[in-house]
Amino acid sequence: MKNWIEAFSVIDFISVGILLTAVAMNAFRRLESCVRTYTVNSWLLSSLIAIVAFMIGETHLYIAAALTLVTKGILLPVFLRRIVKQMKVTHDVEPYINNALSLTISGILVAVVYASLSVGIFVSGFSKNVLQISIAVILIGLFIMITRRKAITQVIGLLFMENGLFLAGFSLTFGMPTIIELGVLFDMLMGVIILGIFAIQIKRVFTSSDLDKLTILKG
Amino acid sequence: MEYLQFIIIIIFSPLIQGLIKKLKANMQGRVGPGVLQPYYDLIRLLRKDMVVSRVTSWIFKATPYIVFASTVSAAMIIPIITTRSSFGMMGDVIAVIYLFAAGRFFMALAGLDAGTAFGGEGSSREMTVSILVEPMMMLSIFTAAISAGSTNVARIAETQNLFYSPPHILALSAFVVAVVAETGRIPVDNPDTHLELTMIHEGMLLEYSGRYLALMEWAHYMKQMLLFTLAADIFFPIGIDSGGAPALIAASFGIYLCKMFLMACAMALIESARVKLRFFQLPSLLGGAFVLAFLSLLTYIMIGK
Repeated sequence: MKNWIEAFSVIDFISVGILLTAVAMNAFRRLESCVRTYTVNSWLLSSLIAIVAFMIGETHLYIAAALTLVTKGILLPVFLRRIVKQMKVTHDVEPYINNALSLTISGILVAVVYASLSVGIFVSGFSKNVLQISIAVILIGLFIMITRRKAITQVIGLLFMENGLFLAGFSLTFGMPTIIELGVLFDMLMGVIILGIFAIQIKRVFTSSDLDKLTILKG
Repeated sequence: MEYLQFIIIIIFSPLIQGLIKKLKANMQGRVGPGVLQPYYDLIRLLRKDMVVSRVTSWIFKATPYIVFASTVSAAMIIPIITTRSSFGMMGDVIAVIYLFAAGRFFMALAGLDAGTAFGGEGSSREMTVSILVEPMMMLSIFTAAISAGSTNVARIAETQNLFYSPPHILALSAFVVAVVAETGRIPVDNPDTHLELTMIHEGMLLEYSGRYLALMEWAHYMKQMLLFTLAADIFFPIGIDSGGAPALIAASFGIYLCKMFLMACAMALIESARVKLRFFQLPSLLGGAFVLAFLSLLTYIMIGK
């Protein structure tokens, strides 16, 4: 089994998949597809942790993988989907930058990360490219937050950043102590619930979920 | 033997076209024309008289021959059933891509030459698509070329290993989009009709008739089969012969036909499952595929396999 994972470079495939879902997020305008992309990203993240746990035989990593799967893979997507349904908005209609350009820019971001991290950093982790991929995912999440107008897509951008951070921490330290991970995940869950409620309130008060409208004074 | 393998492309390319049409018809619950229909069409067109507009220049008359000749020269460079390819030592994959580009350049000029609205429309669209497709195709091939250490298609075909790595999969998916766009198939262009305002390839050929039309169509079929062959050589070269023993070449020929059949199935499946995109939505599809190709190169450099 371990040889099989090595031979088919499963870890490489999953980490490239994580990068790919983050990049693909730039191409989607339908909010449902955005949520689904995030779900796939989280599942890949949790399966990566599970496989690394299997490879090095650490039991506490299995717990981390299960926690990731439950919170990021199931609870958050269900919650996000419910918000999308309540807001009655289906598309992020007018992003600041069009699809093709934002895809290209995210590709360039990945290139910049690879170029700047290819020398001078020694990573003692399980794969030499996971740190690069995780930092690229963080930057792409930031980029999504900058270029999207809707509150909900910005929240998804933030979640991508968090997935990237989690992966970065994981690739450097093989996972933090379970209690810290529990705390981070709980924080995340609460944060997203509050942000979701904010998004619904913005929609109710301004009759639009477009964050540009927040600069208009109400009197 | 290896000097004659390009004849396979010339002879079998209409068959592949007929096969895709037949498979597509079957998938959509129609009977469809027979597999040999493109041959009958070509023979019929070759026998017919031509109508050439009085306002056209020499470009209109020269283009069918240029397009046909450039496609056949590309066929001579690509290894088809044996990697000891006909004139492979003289050219490589970059030459193949630019031979296609030369044909496309003259085709676009000929579309403009007659001065009809549809011809100009087709030419302008074809050039727009090709601007997006060409670099993407180059990048996805370069991923394989770097891992083989050569841009010669024969060397790439010989050195590919069986175990696929992420860069290969990414490059392959970008290449599939490139093939769909280059052959004018459904998410990009509709090959079945020349009665649509959205046509790209057919728009440029609208003024052609008789022998010229036959040559242009034939060249298009050959280009399609060549792109399939290129995909087979670069991404799944399993079974391609490199020695030159007659028995092995025969086996390689059988495997080659199987690969072509599988790719025809894949094309028919893509065409049946997708809808044609609006022209202004194409940049996001092709841009996405470009980013895939770009990432494949990057991940290749990172993972290094």
